[in-house]
Amino acid sequence: MDSIGEECKELKKKYDECFNEWFGEQYLKGKTTDPCKVLFKEYRECVHRVLVEKGIDVQEAYEKVLGTSKELSDPNKKETETQNVKK
Amino acid sequence: MKLWTSEHTFEHPWETVAKAAWRKYPNPMNPGVTGIDVLNRSIDSRGRLESHRLLITKWSLPSWVHTMLGTDATCFGSEVSLVDPKSKTLELRTTNLTLHDYLSIDETLVYSPHPSNKNHTLLKQEASINVKGLPLSGYLEGVVVGNIDNNAGKGRQAMEWAISNIKSEMEELAKTAQTVSLTAQKELTKTMQFIDTEPYC
Repeated sequence: MDSIGEECKELKKKYDECFNEWFGEQYLKGKTTDPCKVLFKEYRECVHRVLVEKGIDVQEAYEKVLGTSKELSDPNKKETETQNVKK
Repeated sequence: MKLWTSEHTFEHPWETVAKAAWRKYPNPMNPGVTGIDVLNRSIDSRGRLESHRLLITKWSLPSWVHTMLGTDATCFGSEVSLVDPKSKTLELRTTNLTLHDYLSIDETLVYSPHPSNKNHTLLKQEASINVKGLPLSGYLEGVVVGNIDNNAGKGRQAMEWAISNIKSEMEELAKTAQTVSLTAQKELTKTMQFIDTEPYC
């Protein structure tokens, strides 16, 4: 599986392996201490650097997904938006 | 806007399905998904794990479509998920970032133990399709809904595929453990024999 940055691929692989092991063997059994923190920090920094280069805004990407839940759970908000479009 | 909903039962416990969800890609059923990055991940005060991931896909569309839409073959999706190990729920919300202003497909997947069988997992799936600012939006939304049915099937096959990978790894581990334990038993028997005879030395 690729990463957005070729240079992050190796860091991603190491982190994913650590995460999958932790998730199955510890987290689901109630342990919340994350042993993959250092690996994630390195990998995350690499990815975020590439995202800036490619002009992808992480916060915006996050809000686009959560906007979904607001739209689905709040019918009034949808109505207002439709009205705005009509105007 | 059009809504699409569906349910599916996986004949595996929730924990197995939750593990498989992280290992769903790459899989042979969705060759278009070429990359995934974890952008942020944290555990909240209630012990829930929130992850924000970027999904990278390659579209298999003719090149003139890309020219028309003004995008290259690489598309991005954004996924926010929440795992609650206490209530045993995994919820994933996904939307497309590429061409989001014209067409948005917002999908929600919720995996939880099946109400009538704790050893099975129920997937509730919902997609909202919204075509904006394009002619024939109702028609286009209908076309997308038609495709989602097909893709949802592929997604489930991919989950079964990821689950079978986990299971065969576990079997391998069990086999290795068995071999190790047999070897240890043999060694131990040897040692015991040694001990049996040695004390008299």
